[in-house]
Amino acid sequence: MNIAPIGELVKLRYKLLWAKTRSRNGRIALFLAGYLLLVMLIALLASGGFGAAMLAVRSGKAEQIAQGVLAVLFLEAVLAANVLGFGMSAIFSETELRRYPLAAPERRMARHLTGILDPFWFLFLALQLGLAVGLYVMGAGSFWFGLIAVLLLFAANYLLARVVGLFIDQMMQRKGGAPVLLMLIMSLAFLPSVATPLMKKNPAILPAVVQRLQYTPPFGAAAAMIHPDAAGVYGLAIIVAWIAGLAALLVWLEKRPPRRQVAESVKIVWDSPFDRVGALFGPQMGPLVGHWLRFYGRNSRTRTLYLISLPLLAFLTWQTGQRMGPHSLLIAALGTFPMATFLGTSRISVNQFGYVGGAFRRYFLLPTDPAATLRAGSYAAVTIGASMLPIALLAWIVFVPYPFDPRMLLMLFCTGFTGLFVLNALGIWVTLFNPRKGNYNSNFGNDLSLGGNILLMGGMLIAMFLPRLLYKFQPALVSLESWWMFLPLPALALAFYLATLKSAGPVFVNRREKLLAIVEGRS
Amino acid sequence: MDAIRITNLVKKYGQKLAVENLSLAVRAGTMFGFLGPNGSGKSTTIGCMTGLLDATSGEIELLGQRFNADNAAIKRRIGVMPETLGLFEPLYAHEFLAFVARMFGLDEATTRLRVTELLEALELTDTSKTLSEYSTGMRKRVAFAAAVIHRPEVLFLDEPFESIDPAGVSLMKQWLRRFTEQGRTVFITSHVLETVERVCQEVAIITRPGKLVWQGDITALANDGAVVCNGQEFRALEPLFLHLTGERYTDLKWL
Repeated sequence: MNIAPIGELVKLRYKLLWAKTRSRNGRIALFLAGYLLLVMLIALLASGGFGAAMLAVRSGKAEQIAQGVLAVLFLEAVLAANVLGFGMSAIFSETELRRYPLAAPERRMARHLTGILDPFWFLFLALQLGLAVGLYVMGAGSFWFGLIAVLLLFAANYLLARVVGLFIDQMMQRKGGAPVLLMLIMSLAFLPSVATPLMKKNPAILPAVVQRLQYTPPFGAAAAMIHPDAAGVYGLAIIVAWIAGLAALLVWLEKRPPRRQVAESVKIVWDSPFDRVGALFGPQMGPLVGHWLRFYGRNSRTRTLYLISLPLLAFLTWQTGQRMGPHSLLIAALGTFPMATFLGTSRISVNQFGYVGGAFRRYFLLPTDPAATLRAGSYAAVTIGASMLPIALLAWIVFVPYPFDPRMLLMLFCTGFTGLFVLNALGIWVTLFNPRKGNYNSNFGNDLSLGGNILLMGGMLIAMFLPRLLYKFQPALVSLESWWMFLPLPALALAFYLATLKSAGPVFVNRREKLLAIVEGRS
Repeated sequence: MDAIRITNLVKKYGQKLAVENLSLAVRAGTMFGFLGPNGSGKSTTIGCMTGLLDATSGEIELLGQRFNADNAAIKRRIGVMPETLGLFEPLYAHEFLAFVARMFGLDEATTRLRVTELLEALELTDTSKTLSEYSTGMRKRVAFAAAVIHRPEVLFLDEPFESIDPAGVSLMKQWLRRFTEQGRTVFITSHVLETVERVCQEVAIITRPGKLVWQGDITALANDGAVVCNGQEFRALEPLFLHLTGERYTDLKWL
């Protein structure tokens, strides 16, 4: 295997990371600060892992806590890599690498090395290493066994994230794949809410489940960290077996030719649902809104996010809806509903023009107010996002074990509606002031700008934790009796959204040359 | 009457000068070639003339009216094929053309008729492919169709002939000739000087940074005649272009 060019490609990955920032004025300081923050975060996470180890040893349940911490980290890494696109760089795709004098195995190696040597994965590595070192320092484990276990677990985690990502990608390209995928994700998301009462009724199930989990990489790693003997070797062997299996599966998935969902018919269809919905916005805006609806609707990442947003948020509602009184799930849902209406379209909403490339010029050749393009794009995002609200409310009625209470629906409707307009309004500002050139067809990688990431993740965190904080400090505000207090929120959000549209129009026209340079990749 | 009139056009990107005090006029019904080396400011000039870019200073008149980016009435009367083509790649050709037609105010029936006819005439009937899957030449044909679908009075074509096969170029040339015969105006930039020589009546040559060095009638070249510039006689556009722009051949011994 020709190692030198692979090393050059890994170096190039980091050079490009640096160059992206260097090319924009004044961003170098921000970039350095970001990296310092990353280093601090890694240190913090390592100490967090260390702290977990101390707790594990002091509580006398070292292995159980290690199993829990590693399992949560393992799953969160897979989730974050696929939902937020971290650590799944599309820079060195197979097509890109074919330009270089590399054989197929070398291209595979280069692709996955650039993928795994990503700052995102280092965060998880730091936490896991912190745990291993902590256990060793506290005298509850072997350093070398722990180190090997962490490195193997790291590789298994990356491989699983890739396999899941590729599986989703290939399912989305199959005809009828999206509903199947949705069913799979829904089943996984609602599994905890079904399994918990079942386990409470029949506690004997739990040890059996734990017994099965011994054969998973996090449990194997926990065994290796705690037991520097045959049990530890057995734990390492389990992870190695997973790595071999996942690597084989990954190669198999990568070798499968992607199935095109494109219709082979040559019949032109004139009357599309996109145009029909767009026509609701009137003769002036109709074609533009229809165009944007098509742009959102054809994006496979948007479709995937839209499909998984409901089960994902159901899972988060269930996970965070604990220990907050008799209506814990309602308080948690008040935080997740705002994201339900935004997550699906979020990738394009916060970077409306980042995926149009040279077509951006077209908007200024049209005989219309250029700002209408910005408005139409946002109307399309709001229309798609709003369509999730009745679905989410229906899911609430069907799945949540509370007696039907219209006040709950009203509160959830208000927060969903508020999130829809506030987040889309903020998305417009990010679109204008912090856009980034992206690849419309790419399903992997987090290609959002710093502002886009801050809005998406910050919005998600604020939305999720605000009701929890209110419950802690002002519980009356999130009680059913205060349902009427939610009523003004949608009106305020709508006012903010309309004010944003009005003031963003001139900004868009004034900044069009800067936007053009960015979306065409010249800045 | 002048279909296009530019007076003292200046365009700066920050401190960098892209177009320097450019003035030119194009008569209605003319096929006008706008030539210059790479990076000389041709696309920037077209960008200013079509509303994509704001001129730093100077005036632009199209069809006898002052033009700026907000002038939608003038935009309805012009057609543009930008250098980057400006295609929405996830769309199918008919969807893209229908969108452009609707934006330019064509009714549903006319839109369908013209889209169908354009697709057939330009041999773009493979509707199983999105624009991103089309070849460069096919994408160019789609961009050309989008520029003419609303029957504009002035047509701006930024490098229209490059990457298109000979049959396509021949068809486009026929259409453009008919276009100008009807009194409408075509403003073309191109590096294919032989084609410009055959189709254009007049050309302007600019050099970096967007500075006009020559403008004149070249109809004589198409009839085996000559053009006189700075006391020298030129029988083809290429030597005239090289003479005016100072472009020269550099030898690399290792190549």
